[in-house]
Amino acid sequence: MSQELIDAITDMREDDVLRITNELLDGGASPLDILNACKAAMEVIGQRFETGEAFIPELILAGEMMTAVSDILKPRMAEAAASDKLGKIVLGTVEGDIHDIAKDIVVFMLDLNGFEVTDLGVDVPAAKFVEAVQETGATIVGLSGFLTLAYDPMKETVAALRENGLNVKIMIGGGQIDEQIRDYTGADAYGRDAMAAVALAKEWVKES
Amino acid sequence: MFVRPDNWKELSPMERRKVRLDNWQNAPVEFMSPEAEANYKERIGRLRKIYDMEPHDRPIADGFMGANEYVVRRKGMNGKDMVYNHEKLREPLLEFHNEFQPDTAVSPLPYPGKVMDLLNYQTYIWGGQKLPDELTIQAVEGEYMMADEYRVFAADPTDFWLKKYIPRVMPALGPLAMLTEFPRVSENVDLIDMILPFGLPPFQAMLQTLMEAGNELMKMLGAVGQTGAMIAASGFPSMGFNIVKTPFDYLGDTLRGTKGILTDMYRRPNDLLAACEAYVPVLINAVVNASDRNGAPAALYVLHKGADSFMSQAQFEKFYWPTWKQVMLALYEEGITSYLFIEGSYNKRLQNLAEMPEKSLVCHFDQTEMGPVKEILSDKQIIAGNVPASLMATGTTDEVRAYCGNLMDLFGDAPGYIMAHGCYFENTTDDKMRAFIESVKR
Repeated sequence: MSQELIDAITDMREDDVLRITNELLDGGASPLDILNACKAAMEVIGQRFETGEAFIPELILAGEMMTAVSDILKPRMAEAAASDKLGKIVLGTVEGDIHDIAKDIVVFMLDLNGFEVTDLGVDVPAAKFVEAVQETGATIVGLSGFLTLAYDPMKETVAALRENGLNVKIMIGGGQIDEQIRDYTGADAYGRDAMAAVALAKEWVKES
Repeated sequence: MFVRPDNWKELSPMERRKVRLDNWQNAPVEFMSPEAEANYKERIGRLRKIYDMEPHDRPIADGFMGANEYVVRRKGMNGKDMVYNHEKLREPLLEFHNEFQPDTAVSPLPYPGKVMDLLNYQTYIWGGQKLPDELTIQAVEGEYMMADEYRVFAADPTDFWLKKYIPRVMPALGPLAMLTEFPRVSENVDLIDMILPFGLPPFQAMLQTLMEAGNELMKMLGAVGQTGAMIAASGFPSMGFNIVKTPFDYLGDTLRGTKGILTDMYRRPNDLLAACEAYVPVLINAVVNASDRNGAPAALYVLHKGADSFMSQAQFEKFYWPTWKQVMLALYEEGITSYLFIEGSYNKRLQNLAEMPEKSLVCHFDQTEMGPVKEILSDKQIIAGNVPASLMATGTTDEVRAYCGNLMDLFGDAPGYIMAHGCYFENTTDDKMRAFIESVKR
């Protein structure tokens, strides 16, 4: 695994990341090795986020660097595609709320941490969550909402998932979401940020 | 309207602040009854003492930044009504004030729906337009300044706003892009460039649209103004604000978008810093001019991307704080108080706020821990907040009472405290509103 690549990612040196990736490929490195270096770097950034040394800018920039690297790797990715996933998650911003930035960061961090995430986008009706869980067989659902108007749609979505007898764990998150709202909606947990979502998801797949 | 006294130049910042607050406090109101007048004077007197951090009988409860929709939703009004039907809001608003006798006036923001329709406004969607009638308004982020336009912006922010930003977010005003650069109009032949667009059909059509929008705005302001006057006449004062943002938030919320601005801190830090600097004199000028025009003694900052979770303290101190502080200090010199509506949490930024001169700020907190706020800021600045929106929306009346009670334990004896919500909410119950309003009267 290239320490040079890991350092470039964790230092947010975007140009170097692309240059090193190309150099490694030209030198015969396997895409899987490069992907593993990316994962190792993202673990460092995730830990920094948890300890308050990295913030949203670093998560967004890291996300963009990962996208750029995977664009380079994609044509040569056949060997790397089949890695096992930890679990399946359906995630979206609830009906009536059109905010996507925080949701996108959570999707990205879950994906990076080995989950297969179905991103339903924004303004998602309860029925669509139900349908997506039925189709994918996901065991975890994430509901995002930035505004206070998300409280009731979250509650309705939790109720719809339960009424349909779906055996899923549900997490909620967003600007004005707290324990009060977890209790109100009947969700299983709420998370303050993307790393909290990852921690919850890992805990839940371990339990199941 | 605020008229500066002849000795303005000799006055200190605190003396200028006093003149502006006197002007606001003594603005003429035609009261409905002697009782309403007495109530108004008592209420505005108490609010003034809080702003002056002078001894007073009790804190006030101000629902302006939280309950502003509930006060009409409780009578069946919806989001579309708040954007389009301003006359219809009057009765519910008067009823609310009459029934609850709040310390200050509370009403929805005056969203100009018909004007937004005419201009084809892009940065929001709203009830009755693209949102269901029940919902009010939501921001739609976009990239309205490209990364390679920083230098054009920094060279002349006003020109950028007029000829690039406005045409992009209000397509009906697209022809503004035809305008010349005004500072070069100096000789008679320069009038050709200056006036030419006004002779062209697309520009003339735009002027027609603007006049139509102006007429709609006057209708709306007539309705909102009448309601506001009637609320004041019934005995309820309101603080006068001009809404403003920090240079970083204008660039982030409005021009570059969240992803754009946060990655620009790494990709083009010098361009970003130069753009923030270029904004400083523009903002100072804009707020001082607005305060002189409408007599508002305070500038209301809606704060977004400087919150704890958005950036590190080092990034805050490099990109966010310095130019914002410059604006606030300049307004302080002009006697204008900065009212900070601090969304999210500012647990790490309290020492920065403590750098500001005494009584220059009202710090209104959402989710910040209030213990350290008391310790670090409450002797120097006016404090407001932080009753959670989640509690107002979904908690019990007893829980609201207990939360407000704790805030009173903490700030009841502070020199200046305003009980207020951390964030706005759509719905609560009358009982919870009553518990909030009464919490300061123990």
